This record gives sequence, structure tokens and C-alpha cells, in this order.
Amino acid sequence: MTATITANLPVFVVIAPLFVAFVLPTFARRMRLVESLVVAIEAIGLVGAGYLASIVLMQKGIPIIYSLGGWSAPWGIELEVGSLGAFFLLVVAAVSLPVALFARGNLTEEVGGKERVTRFYVLYLLLNGALAGMAVTNDLFNIFVLVEVATLSCCGLVSARNHPRAAEAAFTYLILATLGSALVLGGIGFLYIITGHLNMGFASQELGRIWQDYPHVVWMAASFMLVGFGVKSALFPLHVWLPDAHSTAPSPASAILSGLAVKGYLICLLKVLYIVFGHTLMQEFAMHRILVLLGMIAIIAGSLFALAQDELKRRLAFSTVAQVGYIILGLGLVNMKGLTGTLFYLASHAVIKSSLFLAAGAIIAATGKHRISELAGIGRKMPVTMAVFTVGSLGLVGIPLFSGFIGKWYLLLGSLDAGHILAAAVIIIGSVLCAAYLFPIIRVAYFEPVPEENWQDPGMPQKIALILLAVGVVILGVAPGPFLELASRAAIELLVIK
Amino acid sequence: MRDFILKRVAALILPFICMYGLYVIFHGHVSPGGSFAGGIIVGLSFIAFATIYGLEKGRAKLPETVLNWTESYGTLWYGIMGMVGIVKGAPFLANKLAGVSLGAPGALSSGGLISLIGLGVGIRVASTMVTLFFTMMEEEP
Repeated sequence: MTATITANLPVFVVIAPLFVAFVLPTFARRMRLVESLVVAIEAIGLVGAGYLASIVLMQKGIPIIYSLGGWSAPWGIELEVGSLGAFFLLVVAAVSLPVALFARGNLTEEVGGKERVTRFYVLYLLLNGALAGMAVTNDLFNIFVLVEVATLSCCGLVSARNHPRAAEAAFTYLILATLGSALVLGGIGFLYIITGHLNMGFASQELGRIWQDYPHVVWMAASFMLVGFGVKSALFPLHVWLPDAHSTAPSPASAILSGLAVKGYLICLLKVLYIVFGHTLMQEFAMHRILVLLGMIAIIAGSLFALAQDELKRRLAFSTVAQVGYIILGLGLVNMKGLTGTLFYLASHAVIKSSLFLAAGAIIAATGKHRISELAGIGRKMPVTMAVFTVGSLGLVGIPLFSGFIGKWYLLLGSLDAGHILAAAVIIIGSVLCAAYLFPIIRVAYFEPVPEENWQDPGMPQKIALILLAVGVVILGVAPGPFLELASRAAIELLVIK
Repeated sequence: MRDFILKRVAALILPFICMYGLYVIFHGHVSPGGSFAGGIIVGLSFIAFATIYGLEKGRAKLPETVLNWTESYGTLWYGIMGMVGIVKGAPFLANKLAGVSLGAPGALSSGGLISLIGLGVGIRVASTMVTLFFTMMEEEP
């Protein structure tokens, strides 16, 4: 029994959330059962992901290969849990458990009605399964299917709140994300036409042999992929849907969308660029320069836009645009430190941004106020929530001992190694700007006169969720050991291929 | 009495349309079509019933709870069929490896679990089509 479960773990982490999502609608009347099922499956997922990560760490880089249906690589779909897959699986599981815990018992106000809450959870689990699938899949067409599942569930999550603004944001997102999906599908089609393979390893081998015969097709495929995944992961000029979508969604949805969904598409982009194209081909086509340039623009522009926002959740949403810039910049550095930094930053931002969004959601739910200027003295009234928000802010700015610091440090070292002095400067300027848009919130919350209102911290499950995420931020900053090892090993593996 | 001919003809034809949909679902691996196309044909027979005999009668045939259940468990059925492989010690979605006899090529049983998996997809597609139809018809203008 145990042997069967461990042997099939790579597929279980993907299908377990989907199974629960399928049966959930029939329990819609029994809210308690639905919530417990969701939290239980997330906890099981975390255990499974942790076990897979420990196996991968012990095997020192030999990936776990799983062939669906027993059909091996070029014919069947292959799941591969290498360092990269295990790393992202762990991030997905570690963030989605606290978010599910936070949603427990307080979604009804934001979403309204038992049916709608159940629908929210169904979409939440579908998104979860799709993200786990993106982490482990080694098949190009499978990536497209998972991207579609994730996109449609994201649209549902954005429109979960019964509000015209949410519907409008979801519609904009739907249109742009569908455009992105079409581009991704086009890119995969181009690759399939010239290589004849959908398995990433085989496509990469074939591409390495024949790319000189079809330089334009490779160009088209690469740019389609970059723009397609760029739209979905809110790369700067294509970010227009993100602020509305992430600020109008219910808080747990904002947390999971900003924290994980965006990262899922970035992992797909990383897999396509580094595994299928390979770093030599990327440099041949100057993709790395484009990525660094786009990353630098996104960091500065996202931060400046965030500075101008007075609405709390919108400021956090624009901050996500800036942080995606860091990750894209790291993808373009094409060296070991830069890639390690990108992966670690991806994980740390997932934890930090979900803690910030959940804290913001708790504040908005308690006070009913959306604007930063109205939050005077909130730190005294809601100590736990604001403490978590402060920890998250310190992490995002990159203060030592918090998780953002290690990611930024490696990115900085990587950009110096690659000889991009300007990129290093932009990383530092980005941190300063980040402090400039996050610290005023903390100042307003702690150092302004306390209002008379009766504002309180949220209930017990919400507090536990917030504290778990804050502890995660500190642990990643103080003792990043296994995480950093997985990230650096993934970076080595990605750079060794071809 | 105005739609007498329409109702009589529909009563004669609709069961056969439904049966044809099931045929397409089960023969997905040996003939054109498949579970998706067959599911749509099955769904269509119910949609045609509701348009000819009126929405209330159509709703009475397939109440919302039934559709909810078929939609959820139709998809789950796919997963359960995939689990057969794991239970038999083969990978997820295994067919021949799970010890299912494949029979003579071209016969209905030659697909192994495929037609059973198709049944799940067909049920799901049919109930989704019907749900979409009712949602659009019952929407307030």
C-alpha cells in the first residue's frame, strides 16, 4: 500500500486536488465538510510534496520519472520530478495550505452564499492541481492544457465576488489570457512542426540539431512563448489586466493569484526557455538580453505605479508587477547565481505576497476601509495582522534575515557575474522604491493616532494562516538550507542541459 | 394541440438520438466520433426535448441536483478508471498493463478501458451542454 502510494506520488500530487474538486459541488450544502476536505487535501499535498522534495534531495539530482499509462517518453506523457519540479511543488503546497486555512469560515461575506463558496473552492483546487501539474510535467502540450485549466480557474476566482467591478476585471483578464493561450499554443505548434516531438527532452535534442535550418521558426516560437506567458504572468507592458483582477478578487483568491498563479506561468516559461531551447540557443537568439531589459523596465515601472496607488490591494497588485520583473531579469542572466536567485526569489515572493494580501484582506474585512490613508492606528487595534504585514514588507524590501534578501543577494551576484552593472543598480533601486511604497503603510498603521472604532484581529484559523506565512518568510530568510540547495541544484541542472 | 406532429415525431425520434449518442460514446475508439461528440448528441436529445415540450417538462426530466451530480461524478469516473491501473500495480491510466483483456482488433472490447472512460466524459459533456442550455434559457433578461 505505502509502496504503491510512494511509487505513484508524482501523479497523486496532481490528481488528488482535482479528485476533491470534482466531488465538492455535491456537498455544497455542508459547508463545514467542504472546508475540512479542502484543508485536509492541501495538508496531504504538502506532506506529499515534502516527501518528493526530500527524495530528490537525497538522490542528488537524479529525477523521478513517471510515465502515464506506462507509455514511455516520446509516445506517452512523462512526469518528471527533478529539483525544479520538487522545488515548485513544495512552494505550491506550502502557500496554498495557509491560504485555504485563511478562507475557512469567512468567505461567505466576500463571496456570498454557500453555492458560491463551494464554487470558489472547486476553482481553487483546480488551480492547485494545474499548478502542481506545471511543476512536474515534461510535455509541451500538457503544459498548454494545464495553462488553460489554470487560466479559466483564475478567471472564475477573479469573478467570485458578486460585484460589477469583479465581472469587468474578469472579462478583461479572460480576453487577454485567452490571447496569451493562443500565442502559447502557436509557439508549441511551431516547435512541434520543426521537431516532431512534444516531450521537452526529445524536442530539445531535435531542436539542437536542426535549428540552423529554421532560424525564423525558432524566432517565432520563442517570441510567441515569451509574449504568451508574458501576458499571463503580467510582464510589464502586458500587465494591464493584473491590478484590476488582483485587487477586486476576494482576498484568498488575490493571495493565490498573485502568489502562485503568476509563478506557475513563469515556471512554464523557464521550462520552455531553458529545457526546450536551452541556454546556448537562448544566447544565440539574444533572448537573454531581451529578458534582462524587460525585467529592468518592469521593476522600475511597476514600483513607480505602485507608489502612486492609495488603495491598499492595488498597491500590492502593482508591486507584483515589479517583482515579476526581478524573476524575468534573473531568467535572462543565464548563470548559476542568477538562476538560483530567480528560483529562490520566486518562492520567497510567493510566501510574502500571499501573506501581504491575506493581511490586507483581514484589514479590509475588519475595517471596511480600502485606502491606505484611512488606516491610521490600525497597528494598535489589529496587532497580529499588522505584525504579519510588517514581516512581509520587510521581506519584500529585502532586509537581511528575511527571505527576500537572499533572493535579491543572489540576483545581485548573478548580474555582476554576467557583467550587467545596470541590472545590479536597478535591483537596488527597485528595493529602495519597494521600501518607499510599503513603509508608509507601516508608518500610518503604527505612528498615527489610534481611532475610537472597535477593529479586531480576525478569527483563529485566519490568525494561524497569517502566522504560518510570516514564519515561512522568516525561516526562508534565516535557515534557507534545503530550499536554497534545491534551487541551486535546479539551476545547475538547467544550465547543464546542452 | 398546435404542435401535435412535432411532438409525436419527437417522441418517436428522441430515444433513438439518445441511443445513437451512447453508441458514438462507446465506439469512440473504433469509429468516427468519440465521447465528446457522443456526449453532445446525448445532451442534444434532452435539449430538443426541452425546446419541444417546454422548459418546465425538460427541467422535470433533469432537475438541477441530478445535473450537478452527473457533472461531478462523470468527471470523477474518469479518474476512477485511471486508478484501476494503480490498483493493479501499473501506472495511472494504464490499460493493457493493468491486465485488461483487449480482445480482437476492431471489436468494442478492443479498447479495454477506453469506452468506459469515454462513458464518464460523455456523461460530463452531456450534462454540461444541458446545464449551459438551461442557464441561458432561465436567465433573467
